[in-house]
Amino acid sequence: MDILSLLMEGFAGALTPMNLLWVIVGCLLGTAVGVMPGLGSSMAVALLLPMTFALDPTAAFIMFSGVYFGGLFGDSTMAILMNTPGQASAIASTFEGHRMALNGRAPQALATAAIGAFIGGIVSSFIVVFLAPTLAELSTAFGPAEYFALALFAFVATSSVVSDSVFKGLASLIFGLGIATIGIDSVTGIERFTLGAPQLFDGISLVTVTVAILALGEVFYIAARARRDKANLETRSAGRPWLTGTEFKEAAPAWARGTIIGLPFGVIPVGGSEVPTFLAYSTERALDKRRKDPQFGDKGAIRGLAAPEAAGNATTGMAMGALLALGLPVSATAAIMLAAFRQYGIQPGPLLFDRNPELVWALLASFFIAMIVLLFINLPFAQLWAKLLLIPNHYLYSGIALFCGLGIYATSGAVFDLLMLLGIGVVALIMRRYGYPLAPLMIGMVLGPLAETSLRDALLSSVGDFSILVSSPITWSLYAVLAIFIAVSVITAIRGRRKHLTSQLETIDA
Amino acid sequence: MNVTEQSGESHIDIPESHQLPGPRPVGEGTFWEGRSGLIMPAILTAFSLYLLIGVLNMDVGNAAFPGPRFFPTILGIAGLLVAVALTIQTIKYPMHPENESGRSWKFHSDYVSLAWAIGGFFAFAVLLPYLGWVLAGSLLFWTMTRAFGSKRPGFDVLVSLMMSSVVYLAFDVGLGLNLPSGLLGGGF
Repeated sequence: MDILSLLMEGFAGALTPMNLLWVIVGCLLGTAVGVMPGLGSSMAVALLLPMTFALDPTAAFIMFSGVYFGGLFGDSTMAILMNTPGQASAIASTFEGHRMALNGRAPQALATAAIGAFIGGIVSSFIVVFLAPTLAELSTAFGPAEYFALALFAFVATSSVVSDSVFKGLASLIFGLGIATIGIDSVTGIERFTLGAPQLFDGISLVTVTVAILALGEVFYIAARARRDKANLETRSAGRPWLTGTEFKEAAPAWARGTIIGLPFGVIPVGGSEVPTFLAYSTERALDKRRKDPQFGDKGAIRGLAAPEAAGNATTGMAMGALLALGLPVSATAAIMLAAFRQYGIQPGPLLFDRNPELVWALLASFFIAMIVLLFINLPFAQLWAKLLLIPNHYLYSGIALFCGLGIYATSGAVFDLLMLLGIGVVALIMRRYGYPLAPLMIGMVLGPLAETSLRDALLSSVGDFSILVSSPITWSLYAVLAIFIAVSVITAIRGRRKHLTSQLETIDA
Repeated sequence: MNVTEQSGESHIDIPESHQLPGPRPVGEGTFWEGRSGLIMPAILTAFSLYLLIGVLNMDVGNAAFPGPRFFPTILGIAGLLVAVALTIQTIKYPMHPENESGRSWKFHSDYVSLAWAIGGFFAFAVLLPYLGWVLAGSLLFWTMTRAFGSKRPGFDVLVSLMMSSVVYLAFDVGLGLNLPSGLLGGGF
């Protein structure tokens, strides 16, 4: 098996003592950030991104995979213990997971989550290893028109799925796309929207935008609420962090179903793992209703936690595959990883497997290592991680603000970028305050240049004939899927609104 | 009587803040109640106009059809349309954020905290090259502890100095990132 020998070489590359150290450091840091209330895995990656520039690319990406998956584990730990999911992908785990914790079964809930995340992650890593080279080959058939269709798909999907209002999503997307146009135009070399400032010739760095949106804006938002909302944090219970045979049998089919639901979403750009986790949760819920002894509700059902955890990590693993093979970031975190690749002068996509095979295979191997390390540091010690909450909030967030400043100054060395960070951070604060989703901004910022250049390349080659955008079978199928997608979300939105109206009428009657 | 519309849950009631102790919210009973969200369409309009004005002033020479103006023009126009839609949405459905603190506030957000946080970061950014990392960093850390309502400002000064020194040692001396030494320069 060719792929297996490549993977083994990857393991050889990743298993050097130094790289192993970076995986473990990444896992610990990621879990630590993920455990903090309100901070999720994408923030962990954003904060630690500038730090990794001091490392060589392979070590940096190996550490990244640790940080990323660690953040996911930490997220669900907190979702279960405190009912404070670090980001949207952990919300589905809070429903049954937190109920289990309230019911004195916190350790079992944590174990279910950790094992579920492990299964989802490992299965998706395997699939990525075998599928990614094929996917990469397939994507060589992609021309400008196909890439534009793909980018358009990502834009529509992220801005409509994630937010409560389509317009909020679109507004966020337009900010992202607009920011990406600032700087020298890559096709003609003409400067755009720079106001003549030389600091803007290279555009606004994706790292600055990421840290501003995901970290500094978040700190400001929490500052604005810190003395308003009463914090209600309680850890409960200790006990065996292991599952009994019965519990294991109970959870096993849910882990499997969750993984299967999660996998395809890794290559569909719908803005991360919110959708699959909720889908997995509601599937389990529906199946539960048919049982003789429904488990969902007061006590917390082990299956309702197992499935979304597995789905979340399955999606994440696959998303990494899509990023490596297609150069297509399907979530905000993948977008940051893409930025990191570019910072090193590496362009993910079909050519990556030919040009930097050692890096790719070492990275893929490090996924497996990260999963195993995380299982070890999370299964027995999840309760210990909760102790991190004893750090007073005012020191925690001050430290994060300090790290934001450090990261940006370390990459740019300019006060200008710090002020840009502050400005975008304030906009991010306002967006959070009024419930605007931030993922479309990130996706727009990352895929904007790809969308623009491929659109213009396509139109230039056809001398302004728009029909070139729909001239190949690949574009047809992409637009067809997009049309179905829009139709489905419009129908669900109308149904949701109708339900909403009836519930409003009922309250009026009551 | 007004229907509060917020995150899917709705109930007909006088907003809770009426029964809560504390100052009356600013803008209560006026047009702006629940409509401060109009600031977002305003920002979006400003951004779209910036793009469109930039497009008009752009010196493109004789680039072929989908030139550098093409994409930003679409964005600017789309931005204006979305801003209009958001304005209509906000005016039609005012938003009342949840308040669980048990009292009412002049503003939903804590502007004193925000002033400490944003002002502190601004001071840090501007003063960094002059003060150096250790001093500017501790200034940032300290103002942030103020923003988050720490009750021991004196002790926090020590914590801040320690934190930024540790970061300096780890990242400048340890990992070789280039941080300014500023006032304390040369010594380490």
